[in-house]
Amino acid sequence: MKKAWLIGLNTFKESLRKKTLYILLVVAFVVIGASKAFSFLTAEEELKMIKDVSFSGIEFFGALIAIFISLTAISNEIEKRTIYTLFSKPITRQNFFIGKLFGTILILLLNFILMSLFFIGLLIFKKSPPDIQVFKTLLLIFIELILIGSITLTVATFASDAFNVIFSFFLYIVGHLTSYGNQLADRTENLILKGLWKVLYTVVPNYENFNIRDKVVVGIDVSWQYVFKTGIYGILYLAVILLIGSYFIQKREI
Amino acid sequence: MSVIEIKELTKYYYIGRNKVVIGLENVSFNVEEGEIYGILGPNGSGKTTCLKLLLGILYPTSGEISILGKNQFDIEMKKNVGFLPENPYYYDYLTGPELLKFYGKLFEIPDKIINKRIEKLLFLVKLHEVKKLALKHYSKGMLERIGLAASLINDPKILILDEPTTGLDPIGCIETRDLLIQLKKEGKTILLSSHFLSEVERVCDRITIFHRGYLLATGKLDELIQKYKAEGLEDLFVKTIQEFDQKGEKK
Repeated sequence: MKKAWLIGLNTFKESLRKKTLYILLVVAFVVIGASKAFSFLTAEEELKMIKDVSFSGIEFFGALIAIFISLTAISNEIEKRTIYTLFSKPITRQNFFIGKLFGTILILLLNFILMSLFFIGLLIFKKSPPDIQVFKTLLLIFIELILIGSITLTVATFASDAFNVIFSFFLYIVGHLTSYGNQLADRTENLILKGLWKVLYTVVPNYENFNIRDKVVVGIDVSWQYVFKTGIYGILYLAVILLIGSYFIQKREI
Repeated sequence: MSVIEIKELTKYYYIGRNKVVIGLENVSFNVEEGEIYGILGPNGSGKTTCLKLLLGILYPTSGEISILGKNQFDIEMKKNVGFLPENPYYYDYLTGPELLKFYGKLFEIPDKIINKRIEKLLFLVKLHEVKKLALKHYSKGMLERIGLAASLINDPKILILDEPTTGLDPIGCIETRDLLIQLKKEGKTILLSSHFLSEVERVCDRITIFHRGYLLATGKLDELIQKYKAEGLEDLFVKTIQEFDQKGEKK
């Protein structure tokens, strides 16, 4: 695990040098900051607006960063041929894969903390310090981001960057729609459509499970039990994804 | 005693459904402890494929590899092996000492020992004056030299070098050659892949010639020259390859 951590730290340092990362971060700050522009609303409505836009911004830009960083974490090593030297060292391919995941999580964590601090600063500025519900929402968003990043990283073990980026965005969109799709499937008479949505609902990660912002913004409390259950769902899904990634990186010819 | 044993090693690359490209075909040879063993061959002859198979980067189609009595994927075995890839690319945002430290830590070498070795190796490859320079500012020759230092960070018993003098100027080539001889004297076994015949001629105890994935000849240089009635390594190289190609055309 120590070797994986070393590879993770190296991935983290390498990712910090990517300009796209900073561009995404700046745009995220602008979007979160722009939520304050609705000054014509009442104070309560404005606060809801800030929370809604900020949660969405953190989730969306976090997802972009997760996909972007994971996408290139493995392919860069192959393209630049640094992987040859790395694989000649006493590390397993699983060390390498888990290390890449650690690095991705670290860079995600840094960006997530920066965006969250900006949002919390905004709330404090509005004299409405964040309550525990805000932190629950942020926690679930972060778990979702880890899941998005790890899926992209896993696909990177066997597919091209072009396929991976399309697949990851497709999955991101479908992952937010599976719940609605499942409800529609229950109502439809079309057996093919019904079957297709049921399969998608089972296989595709249900990212909407991690979305409690709609409730939190309007003041509905979400229990710790729900947060815990959803966290477990995320961890189990992550474990399956990691097994798949480990299998493919082991098989891969470089 | 053989430290590297390769038995009937074959590697096919599958392109599409039906097309197969031969990377290596039924190759067998041994590398003895303390010798410098040269793999010669034109571009695309299978030299790099052979080294990648040895390091477990590629999977063989068939055949066996044993390094220090272990298979090529064994982690403990890899602790005793150093590798310099062809045209080495490294994390270009790191400095030379940072790169060596990173690789040293992957070998779980204690910090105190790593730091001493880094100092020694940077002197050895004459990069001690550019310690603070990031690798992205290195010339091709400097990259080759830091690569050589990186391959020695674990003080390996076996050193596998893929075209170690590519990109080096004549002085650099001579220095590398001298270094290899010095490392041999220290008891290290060196497996060297190269298409620079003069380099191989001067440092290698035994050689093998690859062509189109096949092993054409293997043994001591003078014995091979006698066997093929060649006038030198260059002549031997050309003769073995031409002979193989002519046989192929007849078939």
